[in-house]
Amino acid sequence: MNEVLEQKLSTEYKYGFVTDFEADNAPKGLNEDIIRFISAKKDEPEWMLDYRLEAYRHWLTMEEPDWAHVSYQKPDFQDIIYYSAPKPKKVLNSLDEVDPELLKTFQKLGISILEQERLTGVENRIALDIIVDSVSVSTTYKATLAEKGIIFCSFGEAIQDHPELVQKYMSSVIPYTDNFYAALNSAVFTDGTFCYIPKGVRCPMELSTYFRIEAAGTGQFERTLIIADEDSYVSYLEGCTAPMRDENQLHAAVVELVAHKNAQIKYSTVQNWYPGDKDGKGGIFNFVTKRGICLEENSKISWTQVETGSAITWKYPSVILKGDNSIGEFYSVALTNNYQQADTGTKMIHIGKNTKSTIISKGISAGYSNNSYRGLVRIGKGAENARNFSQCDSLLMSDQCGAHTFPYIEIKNNTAIVEHEATTSKIGEDQLFYCKQRGIDNEKAIGLIVNGYCKDVLSQLPMEFAVEAQKLLEVSLEGSVG
Amino acid sequence: MLSIKNLHASIDGKEILRGINLEIKAGEVHAIMGPNGSGKSTLSAVLAGRPEYEVTAGEIIYNGKNLLELAAEDRAREGIFLAFQYPIEIPGVSNINFLKTAIGEIRAYKGLEPMEAKDFLKLLKEKQALVEIDRALISRSINEGFSGGEKKRNEIFQMAMLEPKLAILDETDSGLDIDALRIVANGVNKLKSKANATIVITHYQRLLDYIIPDVVHVLYNGKIVKSGSKELALELEEKGYDFIKEVEEIEA
Amino acid sequence: METANKTGTIKDKLIFEFETSKLFLFGDTQLRDQSMESFYKQGIPDRKHEEYKYTPIASMLKGEFNFSTTKNCSDEQIEELKFLKGAYVVIIENGILVEGLSNLEHLPKGLTICSLVDASKSSSPVFEKHYSQYADVNADPFIALNTAMTKDGVFIHIEKNVIIEKPIHIIHIATAFENTIIHPRNLIVIDENAQVKIVESYQTVDSKAKIFNNALTEIVVDKHAIVDHYKIQDENDDFGYLLNTTQVIQKKQSVFSTHTFTLSGALVRNNLTIVLDDEHIESHLNGLYITNGKQIVDNHTVVDHRKPNCNSNELYKGIIDGKSTATFNGKIFVRKDAQKTNAFQSNKNILLSEDGTINTKPQLEIYADDVKCSHGTSTGKLDQEKIFYLQARGIGITNAKKLLMHAFASEVVNTVKIEALREYIEAKIAKTFE
Repeated sequence: MNEVLEQKLSTEYKYGFVTDFEADNAPKGLNEDIIRFISAKKDEPEWMLDYRLEAYRHWLTMEEPDWAHVSYQKPDFQDIIYYSAPKPKKVLNSLDEVDPELLKTFQKLGISILEQERLTGVENRIALDIIVDSVSVSTTYKATLAEKGIIFCSFGEAIQDHPELVQKYMSSVIPYTDNFYAALNSAVFTDGTFCYIPKGVRCPMELSTYFRIEAAGTGQFERTLIIADEDSYVSYLEGCTAPMRDENQLHAAVVELVAHKNAQIKYSTVQNWYPGDKDGKGGIFNFVTKRGICLEENSKISWTQVETGSAITWKYPSVILKGDNSIGEFYSVALTNNYQQADTGTKMIHIGKNTKSTIISKGISAGYSNNSYRGLVRIGKGAENARNFSQCDSLLMSDQCGAHTFPYIEIKNNTAIVEHEATTSKIGEDQLFYCKQRGIDNEKAIGLIVNGYCKDVLSQLPMEFAVEAQKLLEVSLEGSVG
Repeated sequence: MLSIKNLHASIDGKEILRGINLEIKAGEVHAIMGPNGSGKSTLSAVLAGRPEYEVTAGEIIYNGKNLLELAAEDRAREGIFLAFQYPIEIPGVSNINFLKTAIGEIRAYKGLEPMEAKDFLKLLKEKQALVEIDRALISRSINEGFSGGEKKRNEIFQMAMLEPKLAILDETDSGLDIDALRIVANGVNKLKSKANATIVITHYQRLLDYIIPDVVHVLYNGKIVKSGSKELALELEEKGYDFIKEVEEIEA
Repeated sequence: METANKTGTIKDKLIFEFETSKLFLFGDTQLRDQSMESFYKQGIPDRKHEEYKYTPIASMLKGEFNFSTTKNCSDEQIEELKFLKGAYVVIIENGILVEGLSNLEHLPKGLTICSLVDASKSSSPVFEKHYSQYADVNADPFIALNTAMTKDGVFIHIEKNVIIEKPIHIIHIATAFENTIIHPRNLIVIDENAQVKIVESYQTVDSKAKIFNNALTEIVVDKHAIVDHYKIQDENDDFGYLLNTTQVIQKKQSVFSTHTFTLSGALVRNNLTIVLDDEHIESHLNGLYITNGKQIVDNHTVVDHRKPNCNSNELYKGIIDGKSTATFNGKIFVRKDAQKTNAFQSNKNILLSEDGTINTKPQLEIYADDVKCSHGTSTGKLDQEKIFYLQARGIGITNAKKLLMHAFASEVVNTVKIEALREYIEAKIAKTFE
């Protein structure tokens, strides 16, 4: 067993290659000039710069939060490069114009942009927005989507081409005053994805953004804004990887979702930022604010996340259930190994009548890692007949790791039904021996156990992603049982 | 089928088995009885290949192969089945998926084609009826939230599915009330054939009223101190294990 | 402070009664004196007492009470209560075992059933070894009171390796024309590798005044033994007050399942404690309470995991209607040594009325690190969507509700292994839903 363990523990981060292309960097550090530099680089209108500066000034008054169950050396915000765009940085009209280095990068990631083109039926296609470091480098299928009136572009383009939408919705769900990292993001975000689904449109394909941190010493601060207008539907996927580097890199994103009457947004994430090495050196600090609002009746927002990467994860994709009969869902698998730390969960804020929320959280801790679920269910005074079901399970795979559950439940309306279930269990040598005695070897056994444990969440992911997530979980855990 | 010669085994440097000799032929049922700590469960663990136990001397030949050289999973694939005394829970893995994987692995080992889904389902249905296990249990996660009795019944169900050559039932009777015991024994009896053998490890003779052994062995202090017919079990229960201890001491 | 006065009065009366009657009671006088002293110190708990916050016993015990245990009901009435055909029946009327009305002929080899008084008189070594060894008089005032004042009850002993296939049915009858307090007590000892099914039913017959039944049962489950235990509480809604303490100790590899059905009674308080005192033990605790009117039902359970590798599984369900109050307070201890413990607890309630109250307090106290524990609790109304679905299939609202309540209760009812008992409970439940 020990040999197997040794061998598996040395399984390296598969996506940790460094691509060699020149980047167009801002100087290190943060001040109003840097913000002006970013804004100017992006050729932004006045209102955008003003917003950034307001956010920055507010950020200066804030303190970095420390209530999460994680410990780390706080980042030196003056030692970060806030803008890094891979060169050439011109607007790309077709994939042929994409830097061949970058295409190779994607091949290594297992995403073939070109292959997507060859598939025939629109249903099988995924429209892809690729963001390296801070800049959106390629958005596919724009034309196909435009026919339906769907806007799917980089955030920078949206500021230029659809300022009225950006002004209307940006910061409406997460104001820059929300928290420390949201304020920082609002000040320095460089790009991101923007998506608008017009009334009555069912988006014909999965929309997807692939994020990658490439340049050394940079932070990644992207923003995503998705608006689903009345009676529309969209499924959005997000994937992330980063090269192996010894220093910690900061990723502080903001994601805002707005669902209008009868609209549905399904947001899926497979997060595989570099987690650091087996001694806990390096890795991404993933401090992300994600929130959606079910603005009007019968709307629905569903978050699904598979979190395997990052040295530290601090993230609570939430839903504000404002419209009557609206639905919020949160399905999460968070896996931590070695010295990773995750503090993740959700908030379901019930405001409207007959609102429903479901929380399924599966934490897996191995090695010396710490994995916490933190969740809030709040039933407001006017939330007649609100319902919530929460299930938070923890799976321990070593003696040295920790699993913690911090549920907060606040109920101000007595017609509410709130259910909470929690389990903690441990997988060890005994389970593996049991499998062996039935003829199943270690590797297969771990796959069985982990995928079985996570199936309620994985089944929520779109097909292609589910397969990728499954493999990712197995790779991340190999040899860590004991 | 199984030949154990002068088997010595220890755990954490402590010797538990001190020279076991045992011959089992196809078609036979052997019962192994003994007081707590006599080494009954150690014997089953060593046969199944539990890594914590170290074999310090002796040999085990199983169907012409040196069993001690095989990994635990290969022993299972060669047809050794251990019905665990304390079956463990594996959350999230359904019994069906587990058995499908196990059968797949065993067939691959034997160089056989994977089993067709419909054949698998047919087998499932057939064996489920044979051992009278609730269908709902089969689709649940392995042993998760099962009562002790349900776990034991699930072990016998798995045994039926995997069709072993040598089945070792380690205190399968503990935790079973009389009705469940009858059902389990009935299942075991139905699975018996001329080609396979069964080792029944038990503390009480009650189980042997239902699974009739060809030979009863008494294990004491890591050795088989007495072998005999079924009557030996009755005698043992009546006089208690102290009687064996006395015999041992006189002989020593 | 009228309440305090009255409480003081009943306490004084209990002490006076004890002093005048103790010489006529069976067993060890020293134990009784010590217990009374402990009761004196603890007093009758009022609502400030954390463990009795939701059980207004002190206010119930206002007014005059006597301690008479005279037989009041007719033989015919008693025959009607023997609903388990073929069982060994023990009749305990107002706390006294009535041999003439019990069915204890032809007991099989290895089974002893007799009154506590007889067991004490004959100095049975099993009785001496186990009596009052588990229910701690200092832990609860009602344990102290019962230990001091009990007059009789049943002693049951099943010997090693013996299987009793027919159930043993203990029928507790409470009947009073004046306010009365009784203290029945049972001791049940199941030896190694033995198996038995025991049903205790609690009923009020022909009463015209309050009767407070302070009953206590100690159960000893030795290694490898398998015991199925049932309590059917069906007391009078106006007069029946039941405080039922059950103290269980389990030894290695034993299996103990207990099922508590509270179908009626003005006030029912259950104190159930199971101590898992060795390895590889399995315990099941199931409960169902259906309350209405002004009933008060309070289930306090304690599952105490003291050694490694044990499993406990607890499921309590309640249906609350009218102005009734139901409380569930479940505590699971996992002591430092109790590694690899599996402990589950679930409490689910349906609140049918606006004036009903549910208090639920699941508590886990875990001091070991390698354990698997979970607790879940839910409280809600009947699912309106399900009702609507049934209505949409042509089922009237009343029947739709009944169907759903039956479905809800069946999870607990289905754990009953004695078929005749299950049918009896199903019929009783159907009646309460009418």
